[in-house]
Amino acid sequence: MAQIDTSNDGGKKKKGAQKKIAIHVDFTPMVDMNMLLITFFMLCTTMLKSQTLKIMLPSNDNRIKDEQKQQASKDEAITLILDTEYDANGKPLIDKDGNTVHNIFYYKGMPDTINADAIKLEHFMANVDGKRQGIRKILFKEHEKTVVAYDQLKQRFRNKEIDKKTFDDEAKKLGTDSMMNGKKLVHPVVIIKPGPNATYESLVYAIDELNGLLIQKYAIQGLTHTDTLMLRNYGKANGKEVIRPNIRKR
Amino acid sequence: MGKVKIKKKSTLIDMTAMSDVTVLLLTFFMLTSTFIQKEPTTVRTPSSVSVEAIPAKDLVTILVSAADPNDKSGDPTLTEGKIFLAFQGDSTIKSEDLRKDILKAAISTYNQRHPSKKLSNPTEAQIDAFSKIQMFGVPFESLYEVLDMDPVARDKYLSDIQNPKVGIPINDNKEKKVEKYNEFQIWMDALAKVAQKGRTDAIEKNKLDEYNDADKEKIRDLDILYNAIYQGNSIAVKADKDTPFMTIHRVFDNLQTMGLNKFNMITNLKAEEAVKD
Repeated sequence: MAQIDTSNDGGKKKKGAQKKIAIHVDFTPMVDMNMLLITFFMLCTTMLKSQTLKIMLPSNDNRIKDEQKQQASKDEAITLILDTEYDANGKPLIDKDGNTVHNIFYYKGMPDTINADAIKLEHFMANVDGKRQGIRKILFKEHEKTVVAYDQLKQRFRNKEIDKKTFDDEAKKLGTDSMMNGKKLVHPVVIIKPGPNATYESLVYAIDELNGLLIQKYAIQGLTHTDTLMLRNYGKANGKEVIRPNIRKR
Repeated sequence: MGKVKIKKKSTLIDMTAMSDVTVLLLTFFMLTSTFIQKEPTTVRTPSSVSVEAIPAKDLVTILVSAADPNDKSGDPTLTEGKIFLAFQGDSTIKSEDLRKDILKAAISTYNQRHPSKKLSNPTEAQIDAFSKIQMFGVPFESLYEVLDMDPVARDKYLSDIQNPKVGIPINDNKEKKVEKYNEFQIWMDALAKVAQKGRTDAIEKNKLDEYNDADKEKIRDLDILYNAIYQGNSIAVKADKDTPFMTIHRVFDNLQTMGLNKFNMITNLKAEEAVKD
């Protein structure tokens, strides 16, 4: 291939014929160099592009904030109090699967400081055998109709019954519509309250859960005194210390 | 006795095919790759199931440093939550030009904010140096000092996050008044100003009317950066998964104050088992 075979096999040599030389080009150094370049490119590049998670926060404007608060304290609001467990070294606690342990204390509707069982504990969990687990299961129940309708819509899109534009429009409508096929549709309002020990990861996980369940109305707020009181009640009833001061402050 | 002659075989291997393959691979890598961005400190981003890819252009990345595990002081808050910024332009506004404009705008706002500690106008060399830095994060006080360094020394300086002079100062300021801006807000304000100027320039140049419906569409197409900022596509917060939310909250709060309520959080893709009903 890399040589031009010009040998005159066994034929009679003609007088005055040009001397023919076999041309061999050795490609080994070329391959060496290419391999080096490939190695360089492989090491210096990112093949995996990072993903993003969109977040929308209310304006900092005082006037708007009050309105938002009123809206969020409606009866159907679900409050998620995020908390991350820390180990003795001050590092987030890792479970046997290598995931950080995040606690989510949640309650529905108005805060209830009398009953200790008004507030419950859940965790972020992956699906097991195709079934939702943990906090996802709880939140799914609140938004079941919309999620099911969305899944059907997606199936129709996959079967090419509807085009991309119709799918996008319908999906957008599903998230905000108050009626579907003549039935009332409720979209829950979720208030995320990262506690003093919550890590950034717990917030990202929480927003990821909401996105996955098409819950569009959510707010991020600080803990209130009532929340602390509820947490204390929970701790007393379950014999567990759940209100811990910020572990990072020394 | 006749000797058995062993036929001599040539040990030459034809490398042409091999070379072809490697060249193909090389071409593939060259075309598909995007270079890893030089960042002063590495963070492990949290994972999410969101499949939305991060835009490659018209992007401001806000890097929030994680606590340095090698820090012996025992106080994680010394190395945690330091802010670095990276500005990325697009084909119409080159990253270099964007950074130059932002630097000028930021310095003028800073001088307005601190009449007693006024900075001189940057030299051409300093502006040029700034336009070539991918990600930076120093207070205005030491800005020129860092810009005058040679690139290797600068990278070394920026990656020393234990140095109290590294990282853009940020504090809780909820007032949107130029006299109250902290340094992080000055940079974000400079970006908004540059984007706004790009928008007005484009409108003027093309003689568009903002109140005309047909023109509105054109303006939207023309001014990618402006829209990207205010529609939340172009601001990305990159932080470590173990950083306390309290630290990140300060960044969120500052963005909210600047009216930038929509933004992105950079995450890794997480595989998730599908739900079967």
